[in-house]
Amino acid sequence: MNSKKPSIYYFICYILVALLALSFLFPLYWIITGSFKVKADIISKTPVWIPTQWVLDNYQNLLSKRSAPLFQIGSWVGPTIPAAFRWLINTVFMSAVSMLLTCLTASMAGYALAKKRFYGRTILFSLIVAAMALPKQVILIPLLREMSALHLYDHIWATIIPIVGWPFGVFLIKQFAEGIPTEMVEACRIDGASEWRTFTDVMFPMIKPGVGACAIFTFINSWNDYFMQLIMLSSTQNQTISLGIATMQGENSTDFGLIMAGSALASVPIIIVFIVFQKYFTKGITMGAVKG
Amino acid sequence: MKKILALAMVLCMIFALATPLSAFADDAVTISLWTYPIGKWTDEATVKEFIAAFNEVHPEITVKVEYLDYTNGDDKINTAIEGGQAPDIVMEGPERLIANWGAKGLMLDLADLVPAGTFEGVASSCTTADGKVFELPVCMTAHCMAINKDVFEAADALQYIDLEKHTWTTENFLKAVQAVADAGYDYVGTVFCGGQGGDQGTRALVTNLCGGTYANPEHTQYTYASEENAKALSLLCNQAGITFDPAIVASDEIQNFVNGTFQMAFCWNATQEVNNADALSFDVFPMAFPAPDGVPSLQGGIWGFGIFDNKDEARANAAKEFIKFLTADDAVYTKVVEATNFQPVRDVAGVYEGNELMAEYALMNPMMGDYYQITKGWTTARTEWWNMLQRVGESDGTPEAILVELTAAQDAANAAAAAE
Amino acid sequence: MSDKSKLGSLRSNNLVLQENVSAYLFLLPFLIFFVGFVLYPMFMCLFTSFFDATMGRKDIFIGFQNYKELANDPVFWVALRNTLVIVVVSVPVTCIFSLWVATIISRMPMAATSAFRCIFYLPVVTGSVAVTMVWKWMFNNYYGIFNYLGQNMGLIDKPINWLGNPKYALGCIILILLTTSVGQPIVLYVSALDNVDKSLVEAAEVDGATPMQAFWRVKWPQMMPTTLYILVITTINSFQCFALIQLLTSGGPKNSTMTIMYYIYYNAFKLYRYGYGNAMGVILAIIIAILSAVQFKLGQEK
Repeated sequence: MNSKKPSIYYFICYILVALLALSFLFPLYWIITGSFKVKADIISKTPVWIPTQWVLDNYQNLLSKRSAPLFQIGSWVGPTIPAAFRWLINTVFMSAVSMLLTCLTASMAGYALAKKRFYGRTILFSLIVAAMALPKQVILIPLLREMSALHLYDHIWATIIPIVGWPFGVFLIKQFAEGIPTEMVEACRIDGASEWRTFTDVMFPMIKPGVGACAIFTFINSWNDYFMQLIMLSSTQNQTISLGIATMQGENSTDFGLIMAGSALASVPIIIVFIVFQKYFTKGITMGAVKG
Repeated sequence: MKKILALAMVLCMIFALATPLSAFADDAVTISLWTYPIGKWTDEATVKEFIAAFNEVHPEITVKVEYLDYTNGDDKINTAIEGGQAPDIVMEGPERLIANWGAKGLMLDLADLVPAGTFEGVASSCTTADGKVFELPVCMTAHCMAINKDVFEAADALQYIDLEKHTWTTENFLKAVQAVADAGYDYVGTVFCGGQGGDQGTRALVTNLCGGTYANPEHTQYTYASEENAKALSLLCNQAGITFDPAIVASDEIQNFVNGTFQMAFCWNATQEVNNADALSFDVFPMAFPAPDGVPSLQGGIWGFGIFDNKDEARANAAKEFIKFLTADDAVYTKVVEATNFQPVRDVAGVYEGNELMAEYALMNPMMGDYYQITKGWTTARTEWWNMLQRVGESDGTPEAILVELTAAQDAANAAAAAE
Repeated sequence: MSDKSKLGSLRSNNLVLQENVSAYLFLLPFLIFFVGFVLYPMFMCLFTSFFDATMGRKDIFIGFQNYKELANDPVFWVALRNTLVIVVVSVPVTCIFSLWVATIISRMPMAATSAFRCIFYLPVVTGSVAVTMVWKWMFNNYYGIFNYLGQNMGLIDKPINWLGNPKYALGCIILILLTTSVGQPIVLYVSALDNVDKSLVEAAEVDGATPMQAFWRVKWPQMMPTTLYILVITTINSFQCFALIQLLTSGGPKNSTMTIMYYIYYNAFKLYRYGYGNAMGVILAIIIAILSAVQFKLGQEK
């Protein structure tokens, strides 16, 4: 680093990266300011960098145009709230449950694949690898028919189940678990611990970072899984936030203000979560990958 | 900690699993109404008012409303059908999805619900060859276009327009576009073709310009691959101020018109003027599409209700009651139509009384032309149309080259019509 | 019972059985979801691809007709080409770009590193619908920011209709895809660079290696597992790019952004041709399976 050339090189790079960072920040800036703009500002021909007047109309529209019950269990219907809140609850629920279920099933399966010898292991692993990159569009129609046969169509579980079945988490944790010395597992078994105890007390704490990576990946994937939501959900009270906002558009018109407000409402919580838990996020992802 | 987590998860599961298991009282019926954004029919407060009025007469019927959008709405109904959860009532139009579903045997025949006095042309457009009515007509419009009157005036282009009748001839249309282009406007009008949104505008523009047709009068075949339409497209290709844009659809076009980028909109109606009132900074002047003799045959749109055959007589009857309530009584029907921002399909007194804007748009009604959207293979014909426009936009603009593209699109559409 | 060897073999058989049973018990929860909602639909997809299936009537068996039609469908071949172009371009570009950004920001002070890491991750968490809307506005032909800046800086003399021009549309899609997929690789590379064994790097520098040499000879091999992981996730990401195309171009102009994923959806939900869509899905699944196998074999050899 003491020669002159690299420092000039890095100086240029710093500026470039800073510029790139600005362009990455821009969409979010535009969404947040856009959610406070009046319609004339939003569709203006020349970019309106800062709203000429800050208004809450878009948020008011978002919260007043549609309503939905807070919950409905049998014939017990909860109080009516703005549908946007219900959509947020649905979205969080969907992502959280997908995440928990995936972590549970994937860590168990990943452990078995990494540490146990059983018939069909190679075939199963090949299937997992092959299915990992498969776009959902491929199995779209059969999946839709299956969900309707199971009476899960238009139900939040119809968006959760395919994510849990998606084998990427298993792959991730299997790769991670292979890095754990087998002796530790065996030692535990010789001590007379049951299979389940071996898993929960010895294995799980050691693959935790891998599970963390799996959790983050699943949560964000599920949050952004617009396509599955579009196909599987239809009624107002079961929709997710991005889907719900789309249904508030008029004939041949796109209310950008409304979309911006909805997106801001949906993304600010997840961004705050990301900033607060940044350390865990990055640690989880990295450990999972580096060991793998 | 773990126990709390487990408990939370169990609760969550109950919350989610329990949602669909709704139990109903014995004689109560719940029906679902899915509506596209037709005027104020996307507005929860408006729709709830109608349902409340209905429940005063029929307290035993619960109506659950879902709101669709034009971008995803079609896919949503199609997936719902495939998912075995089609709605009971759909309020749709005018691109004949109901007719399509009807042809596939998914809809109930509503012939006995058509109110007396429904305009002959409308009623016949909604009736199939074997006398069935799948879509009960509610409202209609003749699709028109619009110009930025201020800009046209400044460019001295208003001289080419019949200001009283809101019409123009093809020759005058081209002259007017030229005048506005000469005044320094690069984008006078844009043939949008990024998707099917608002394609009634481009269809009407092309087929009227040189007197072409879209389908034969019997509605069995598509006829748009004609010399006339090739000439029309060639004129548009070569006219200064007219561009083809495969990156936008009608909603983008309208936005560009409203903010002053485009000086004309090919997809326009009264609702657009109402919805954009607070963003418009110029005088919008609705126009009929240009035709050689100045008398176009405008593309009609009919909106209405359809009932899905969900094999449940109680629900089917309840759905019919609901539709009857909204359409049979003149006083209710007037309100229903006024909520759509379109015109009624039968004579009712006092509709849009004192509304100048609607009176201006009502001028278009007598120019309503053939209702060709009932031709078979419609969905294919639609997608072929905008794809064809994209290719025409990239072509050299000669009528010969354009005719090749038109023929390719028409062949595919006719093949689909024959297969149905 | 007294025969020791018999007992031994019985016991080892027992152990094998036990191992198998316990393995499958651990796998069971996952297998229910995987077999039920991935493999079974996949099988049904293969099955239906031999039928003329549409809405509202019974499926009709037509053998290989769908596949024959596919072979003669020019749009299918264009879509296949575009899909592969997206993957082949975006995967290496994402990797190289994120590696470059990571090397730069990892040299910054802690706070700056974490701030930049966060910024580059933003598009991933902001939600695809809204981000796509903003991009659509930026690419706008009439008043988009690219034409605005390009014309003001004299780079282009006429506005370019980015998403409306078959020459540029696919490139624009890949660019947007890039911004939504570099977040995670950057995070990974920054940490990987941190975890590199510093003593080895110092030793190399003492031996007179240039920073470039030190990077490629010492750091890069240590980051190999990270790179492989990134390759896998970006490949997955590239194949999932559907919302972008649906929201921006619907496959146009002139099919220049048509991908297999969108074409399947288009056939299924616009033209109601379920069997035909499924046949395409089968072909795509085969291609992806081969790609994954190759990628994985390469990864294991290294």
